Amino acid sequence: MIEARQLSFRVRERELVRSLNLRVRPGEFTAILGPNGAGKSTLLKLLCGQLKPTTGTIFFAGKPLAEWNARDLAKYRAVLPQQSAVPFDFTALEVVLLGRSPYGDAGSQEALAREALRMTDSEHLADRVVTTLSGGELQRVQFARVLLQIGWKPVSDGRCLMLDEPISNLDPAHQHGALQVARNMARRGVTVLVVLHDLNLAAQYADHVLLMKQGAIVAEGAPTEVMTADRIGEVFSVRARITKNPLCEAPAVFVELPPR
Amino acid sequence: MRTLVVLLAVAFALESHASDRIVSAGGAITETIYALGAQDALVAVDTSSIYPEQAAALPKVGYSRALSAEGILSMKPSLVLVNADSGPTEALNQVEKIGVKVVRLPNEHTVEAAENRIRVVGSEVGKTEEADKLIAALRDDLKVASESAGKPETAPRVLFIYTRGGGLMNVSGKNTAADAMIALAGARNAVTDYEGYKPLTAEAAVAAAPDVILVTAKGLESAGGVDELLKQPGLTLTPAGQARRVVALDDLYLLGFGPRLGKAALELGQKLRASPGLAQK
Amino acid sequence: MVVAALIVAAIGSVIVGLSLGAVRIPPGEILSILWGKLTGAAASGTHDAVLWHLRAPRVVLGLMVGAGLSVAGALMQGLFRNPLADPSLIGVSSGAALGAVFSIVLGGVLLPTLPFLHHAGFLPMAAFAGALGVTLFIQRLANTSGYTAVATLLLAGVAVNALVGAVIGFATFLATDAQLRTLSFWTLGSLGAADWKIVGIALPFCLGLVTLAPLFAGALNALSLGEAEAAHLGYAVERIKGLIIFLTAAGVGVCVAYTGIIGFVGLVVPHLVRLMIGPDHRWLIPGSALLGASLLVLADTTARVIVAPAEMPIGILTAAFGAPFFLGMLLRQRRKALWS
Repeated sequence: MIEARQLSFRVRERELVRSLNLRVRPGEFTAILGPNGAGKSTLLKLLCGQLKPTTGTIFFAGKPLAEWNARDLAKYRAVLPQQSAVPFDFTALEVVLLGRSPYGDAGSQEALAREALRMTDSEHLADRVVTTLSGGELQRVQFARVLLQIGWKPVSDGRCLMLDEPISNLDPAHQHGALQVARNMARRGVTVLVVLHDLNLAAQYADHVLLMKQGAIVAEGAPTEVMTADRIGEVFSVRARITKNPLCEAPAVFVELPPR
Repeated sequence: MRTLVVLLAVAFALESHASDRIVSAGGAITETIYALGAQDALVAVDTSSIYPEQAAALPKVGYSRALSAEGILSMKPSLVLVNADSGPTEALNQVEKIGVKVVRLPNEHTVEAAENRIRVVGSEVGKTEEADKLIAALRDDLKVASESAGKPETAPRVLFIYTRGGGLMNVSGKNTAADAMIALAGARNAVTDYEGYKPLTAEAAVAAAPDVILVTAKGLESAGGVDELLKQPGLTLTPAGQARRVVALDDLYLLGFGPRLGKAALELGQKLRASPGLAQK
Repeated sequence: MVVAALIVAAIGSVIVGLSLGAVRIPPGEILSILWGKLTGAAASGTHDAVLWHLRAPRVVLGLMVGAGLSVAGALMQGLFRNPLADPSLIGVSSGAALGAVFSIVLGGVLLPTLPFLHHAGFLPMAAFAGALGVTLFIQRLANTSGYTAVATLLLAGVAVNALVGAVIGFATFLATDAQLRTLSFWTLGSLGAADWKIVGIALPFCLGLVTLAPLFAGALNALSLGEAEAAHLGYAVERIKGLIIFLTAAGVGVCVAYTGIIGFVGLVVPHLVRLMIGPDHRWLIPGSALLGASLLVLADTTARVIVAPAEMPIGILTAAFGAPFFLGMLLRQRRKALWS
């Protein structure tokens, strides 16, 4: 469970997040949606402690984030930031095993690491050197690493997975694969918070959607409630139509640019 | 080549007394040892020991300021003669600590230092009489040099250029070996407004207006001869450049302040005054 | 396995370093001299003195400096997330040299009356301060983006090296101290000053660096993923960065204070170790310490022997091997598009 009260973040004169209140519930897949510059990644960085809020407080599992010991926190919460290059020739398996850093038992967890790789359909990459992987392959390996960090057994202790655009480099099959893994984590009791760009994938996998614009949450709730044609049109400055996804019960969004 | 050096070293080692093995780290020191006739005891020299030619064939212990303790010790010396500014200090201290006598000789650019060096080397190698004779001869030469110099106001103005090639040319100001030599030769340094060496600039050369340009033989060679040297910006506009008055002497002879100091001063004075066209001035 | 081979190599380098030199000492005599030292027999003879007061401290200093520079290189590369971060290339060694020169000028010319300036520990402390200053400066430069761009790092190094070169040139021009006047000592390095006293002063610094560095192996592995990633994995990144900077500056500072700038060691050695056993810092750090110690002792032995009885500046040798390495790595990084 993550909670934020009166959260603001200002850089010089620009207010990137403005007095925002939110609660991310355990056992749910929560997606943060919004146009570029809406403050999605900033919000995620604030919630995971990478950025310090200008005002407001964040609570993780009921305790203010600042009071958490870094290592304890790392056992309960894994964060996947946006893509960054790895400068040294680690193998994919070695990178995944870094997920066990907070426990100090990386040496004995190879089987578990391979299982994490299997969950992201990248077991065959285990012995590849990460500097030779494609963007999508590296993203799957990094995803496996954060999975290994908090584990995937059913939990009741408020574990949390925070992903910043985890599927930006993936092909459709792997996009669905990754989001399915994230949703399964939520089904097992984990708090899952994901920044996404693809409205239809969000509609398909999220239990709860936070729609952001200009640093504020303009709507939140189940995808069917939040994703109306008017609201999507207004937030994203497009003309939108909503139908029903023929493959599942989720709403399906079609958009075009408004006439000038 | 290396085997030759080793063979020579062995030959010298056999020739000299077992107890008398000298390492010299200074061109003027080496020259003094030869002048005193003590060269049989010399087993190794530094890279500045280029005169006499035989010295250059001895094993080299490196640059006088970058000596190696073990390198010196490997020559099994009984006496190490170095310049006051030879080093590194630690290396020489280590050699001393191991029980080898290290004598540091003054190497300022003065007649006193030159005489002192001859005297000390002479007493260290047991040639005090020869040293006294050498000093007397040096004084005689210097006396002749100063007597043959004309009145100070008519003495030629000399610009000393130090170069090692690569287009880098330095001009000596006051308190340099060249400045002292020019004075001993009865001439005037054309540059007196700074101490030490400064890079040659066209305007400064013209302002100095030298009657003669003085260089070392190696310097002239590295500059590519008189013609190339005079192509340096500014030099053509000086009286020396116009009349192509360039004097060159061997490096160690001119600047070493060794036992040939008197002769060098004498010869320099003669050459400077004998430069073509200068007499009419 | 590889580590065992590296230990053997280090022992071998010590044997070679003790055996070879301008003075020829037969192996049997070396053993008997060393045995004499162990049993406390009285020292006598030139060979004994050469071995015990010239070669032995030099070999020990070589081991320490080789290990120190290599571990400092490995730490710095992990910290800056860039395999080209080498103390000599990015200006940290120059900073240390500046500190050392400053302390000598201060101690010898400006303030000869202040007793603390003549304390044996002042020189390495000043060098440490210089190294720390440059590292902090470069870290501040690097801090703006998540990882350190090669260009930023190397350009900063060029600037610092040029600045320090000018200041050292000026100081050597001013100073009368014989050691200062040999500019080549600072630019090309030499182990020629080694004696047991210097070994004694440098030992705690180098030993501290080499024994404490492995404590940061896990953090450096995590840091390879990025600073944010390392923080999310539970590491107190800012504190760890501070400690690593402090540690590398201390190691580089003391090495430079007594042996000048020996370039490329911190670049080449960790790179070779990565080729042998991979980038995992848990092995990279001890591996670099061992290989660096061996290679520097061998390089110094070569420098002592190759033009005997003269000596070649060791920096010429390390640069001859290191510079082509560096160019190769630069090309490789360019291809990987990390150049930005």
